[in-house]
Amino acid sequence: MTKKQDIRFIQGNVAMVEGAIAAGARFYAGYPITPSSEVAEASSIRLPQEDGLYVQMEDEIASIAAIIGASASGKKSYTATSGPGFSLMQENLGVAIMAEVPCVIINVQRSGPSTGLATKPAQGDFLQSRWGTHGDHGIIVLSPSTVQDCFDLMIDAFNYAEKYRTPVIFLADEIVGHIREKVVIREVDENEIINRAQPDCEPEEYKPFNHTENGVAPLAPFGDKYVVRLSGSTHDERGFPCSRPDNADKFIRHYTDKIEKNYKDIVKVRKYNLEDVDITLVAFGGSTRSALEAMNMARKEGKKVGVLQLVTLWPFPEDEVIDALINSKAVIVPEMNLGQMIREVKRLNDFNTVVQGVNRIDSMAITPKEILDKIAEVENESSRIFG
Amino acid sequence: MKAQEFLVKEKFPLFWCAGCGNGSVMHAIVRCFEKLNYTRENTVVVTGIGCWGKGDDYINTNTFHGTHGRALAFGTGIKLANPELNVVVLMGDGDGATIGGNHLIHAARRNVDVTSIVVNNLNYGMTGGQYSGTTPCNKTTSTSRYGHIEHGFDLSGLVAAAGAPYVARGSVYGIVQLEKFILEALKKKGFSFVEAISQCPTHFGRLNGMKEPAGMLNWIKENSVSVSSANQLSDSERENKFILGKFADKEKEDYSTKYLRVIREAKKIKEGGK
Amino acid sequence: MKSRYEIILSGVGGQGLVVGGTILGEAATMFENLNSTLTTSYGVETRGTFTKSDVIISKDEIFFPEVVEEDFVLALAQVSYDKYAKLINENCILVYDCNSIDPVDHLKARQYGFPITDAAREIGNIATANIISLGLIVKMTGVVSVESVTNVLKEQFSKKPKIYEMNLNAFNKGLEMAEQL
Repeated sequence: MTKKQDIRFIQGNVAMVEGAIAAGARFYAGYPITPSSEVAEASSIRLPQEDGLYVQMEDEIASIAAIIGASASGKKSYTATSGPGFSLMQENLGVAIMAEVPCVIINVQRSGPSTGLATKPAQGDFLQSRWGTHGDHGIIVLSPSTVQDCFDLMIDAFNYAEKYRTPVIFLADEIVGHIREKVVIREVDENEIINRAQPDCEPEEYKPFNHTENGVAPLAPFGDKYVVRLSGSTHDERGFPCSRPDNADKFIRHYTDKIEKNYKDIVKVRKYNLEDVDITLVAFGGSTRSALEAMNMARKEGKKVGVLQLVTLWPFPEDEVIDALINSKAVIVPEMNLGQMIREVKRLNDFNTVVQGVNRIDSMAITPKEILDKIAEVENESSRIFG
Repeated sequence: MKAQEFLVKEKFPLFWCAGCGNGSVMHAIVRCFEKLNYTRENTVVVTGIGCWGKGDDYINTNTFHGTHGRALAFGTGIKLANPELNVVVLMGDGDGATIGGNHLIHAARRNVDVTSIVVNNLNYGMTGGQYSGTTPCNKTTSTSRYGHIEHGFDLSGLVAAAGAPYVARGSVYGIVQLEKFILEALKKKGFSFVEAISQCPTHFGRLNGMKEPAGMLNWIKENSVSVSSANQLSDSERENKFILGKFADKEKEDYSTKYLRVIREAKKIKEGGK
Repeated sequence: MKSRYEIILSGVGGQGLVVGGTILGEAATMFENLNSTLTTSYGVETRGTFTKSDVIISKDEIFFPEVVEEDFVLALAQVSYDKYAKLINENCILVYDCNSIDPVDHLKARQYGFPITDAAREIGNIATANIISLGLIVKMTGVVSVESVTNVLKEQFSKKPKIYEMNLNAFNKGLEMAEQL
């Protein structure tokens, strides 16, 4: 059989780099940390081949600062880390939110807290990715479940970052980051790529924070004909510090609104067998793989089980989860933490639907069998409750 | 462009206390911008947090106001992504030399072509005069009321040891010399560093018997020695002096220039297959 | 072949098991239109402690990437042999390196010892044990074709003819050893 040129058998971490390059990223600054280090290694090889730049910084604080700086100079930029490094990045993540500088932060989750188990998977940063940095803000978080996602979804990550002038968290986990599987590295059409809007006004009229309603102002790069003031302090339309309460109110709402009010554009989910279900498994990232396997096994037993995969984690896909809660007798949430995503699901459950978790925090992937057992358990309970 | 035109006059009067040295350093910087024909568009002033971190409020080039201690890391990204820019990083001693000390030595080692100007007023001014990484031993601050028991960094010595091709220390008292150092630093290709010993009459001065600006300036003057005469002093004598002059001035290929070779090698590999 | 075939490659860090697994996966996905996943379990050490790779090759899409029911286990170190020998069932083939492993009798699995280390020495490089093992796996299971693996090796080492030759010899040696069964 002849070889298909565009098919590769590579790790998720490596596919992320190809996705980033396809999206137009040309700058990486990072600090190596397991299980994300392959992103750094592949970036250091691939970026200079595309006239991009790789720089290894002294820590994760400097890494995220450098990518924000590079993005302000007009280069699409990204970094990659894992739990301990992601914690270190939280303060400067706020700068990217406040100064509204696009960038992509890959977090390949590992078992925590603290150093935890460096080589083992977890999904314990689900809430940190939303609320890790201080102060009110909106954020976009995407989560891959396959190596193909690592490529394709990375393009979405950069597109959202550019379109909404926001950091985007690419919340992977050790399972997806380290697995090798088939991936198609396709040629990406120009029309698929979003680049940040550029101003067309006279230079003296340019204000980098003069936003449209629920949209963002064009962001000129440093070194162009515009003068750009960017700041992590509360600032006005021109970027000067401003302590007026009405100004603070306006901008802090803006950081949330520009994300939440574009929910329909940002939220992506995948639905498997949801047309006719008794039980819906709501999953994200590496655990989706266990859920899909469990679904197939359950279907073979004649059970009406479906999967709702949340690809966008934040903004939380409320409409889709509400549909699942309405249309199912029970919702099961398998996640590799003690119940972070299930909080969101329960928060939306005004329908008396049975909601239960399958949780593992022992550094091992949730097995399909564990989910099957939970399905059986919930069926028994539901038949008691609903007759 | 004239020096005055680099200032944001509408934001005057300056936020800094009467008698602060920051204004003098800022004027020296914009005079250098004029001399070097910098434009607002091709220059980025990067700041951290602290009194001197407010410097960008009054400069009308491109600006990036980041987080406490991290200005050099932002500046590194800004410069590496567009080596055509003039990147000038303003930091205080708390900002650049204490919380940001690790970034400082690594930036010096990495040799990215940015100019950093640290105003060293020997304490944290904005938060109320607590001791910093450069506060001299035995001095009083709002958190060392019984006398400071740590030793301050010899910042310029530190940065020179980390490999920076240009390092100089001046003082606000000797503003002409300081301006000359800033000019040389801006011209230097590679990482350049200027330390400006400055007065904080509101906090450090007040707690150390020098609450008048002139008092602290005089104290700086009286305790300043040149690099050459410092060589005659013992270690303990040196510690209580401000040693002014150049600590490094050499040619060293900067990161961006070197990286062009990385790109060339990488492309060779790519074209040659695996 | 079964629609889903599950292989464990086990030994200690530094034996090239991930490389071996990757070659199998590449052969399956890039040359045979099959699906494959490779996941590796390891500690923070780089060398010398227990490691295993799970290779799954399937006609269907693979969701859960861990081996649930082994079809084939390769053990290149005593520690990994001891871990799997008693666990696996009668449908599984267990292949071990008889130069470095003392086997246990009366296993449920069908087990076969091969002098893999000796063979690697004969090839001229102890590091070819993983490629010799690939020959054994391919011959004994037919999970991918000989041609596909050869194609992968050719591509991998296209710029290094000597290394290609050594690896091809190693692969052929494995095929040969399995033939003699």
